[in-house]
Amino acid sequence: MINSILTRELGLTYPIFQGGMAWVSDAQLAAAVSNAGGLGIISAMNLNADYLREQIRKCRTLTDKPFGVNVMLMSPFVKDVAQVCAEEKPAVVTTGAGLPNLYMKDWLAAGIRVIPVVPSTAMARLVERAGAFAVIAEGGESGGHIGDLSTITLVPQVKDAVSIPVIAAGGIGDGRGVAAALMLGAEGVQCGTVFLCSTECTIHDNYKQKVLSAKDIDTIVTGKRLGHAVRSIRSPFTRKYAKLEYEIQTTGEELEQMGVGALRKAALDGDIENGCFIAGQCSAMVNEIRPAREIIETMFAQAETLLKGAPVWVK
Amino acid sequence: MSTYETIAKLLAESKDLDVNDIRPEMGFAELELDSLDVAELVMNLEDELGVPVEIDESLRTIADLVAKVDNAK
Repeated sequence: MINSILTRELGLTYPIFQGGMAWVSDAQLAAAVSNAGGLGIISAMNLNADYLREQIRKCRTLTDKPFGVNVMLMSPFVKDVAQVCAEEKPAVVTTGAGLPNLYMKDWLAAGIRVIPVVPSTAMARLVERAGAFAVIAEGGESGGHIGDLSTITLVPQVKDAVSIPVIAAGGIGDGRGVAAALMLGAEGVQCGTVFLCSTECTIHDNYKQKVLSAKDIDTIVTGKRLGHAVRSIRSPFTRKYAKLEYEIQTTGEELEQMGVGALRKAALDGDIENGCFIAGQCSAMVNEIRPAREIIETMFAQAETLLKGAPVWVK
Repeated sequence: MSTYETIAKLLAESKDLDVNDIRPEMGFAELELDSLDVAELVMNLEDELGVPVEIDESLRTIADLVAKVDNAK
């Protein structure tokens, strides 16, 4: 059994978080992951506080295990969403798209473990100083908004920069990734893409099929021109977007407008033509739809075997 | 060395800029610094001066940063 400070302090069986993915990470998926021994996370995305409160309360009817909420700091409802977190007190709040320091005092006072996603060592140090319990060092292999550094370079550097636990994210698709993350210095992992094809994930079947059929070179990064690089699976949408992105006459506003609602179209409607199917580089490693419990148990059984076999490399 | 001079020196070193091209009234956007660059600058500054600075919406220019550091001293 692989354990770490995360399993001990957060009451998990496995040191794995399910990433907070907009239009994907709802109460049903979060509860399934938590019931399987990981930390399920509800995405507050850019919806209002009522949605989040309803999802938190629904999750509590589906699991008695700890779960978390991911707060997207660029959400227009971020202040209200932050307040709901302080009131509802999920075990963990993870944050993305900025610095959460403005809200951390209230969350910490409510007894919540705050675990921001960080793309650099300086950001990790800033949130450690503000009282973060741990940080999620997310490399550019992941789906969604990404930074430039890869997981294999970011995780050890963040580990050296802070004294709080580090969770590795980005590109972790099986037990080999888990074992490697622990060797890089992480105390656990966060995975998103592998849970897209979990039985309990409520996204449209077309989305799941896109992930299942993706090959190693099938993800693309768009949005760099706007300073918001996003990784997703190649699709008619990304082809159109990538073409326009490098046409000089296309304005930033036009690009912004084109992206609005694209993920929702993929996740809810399965819109193959206009949807943006966000997923990470490990999509090609996801080959079947399985229960979250089976995904997690398989990953950690493989990681345990690999780690136990590690002495073979040392004379 | 004044706070401003320290900031200009750190910025020039880390971002390969000419220190003479940096002026107090310059915004971070004008200097082509994104949020990660500002975070790095603030932490470098803390290492250099031992003064922690909070990053918030009021922090937009070099002069803002100078004021925050001087207030925190």
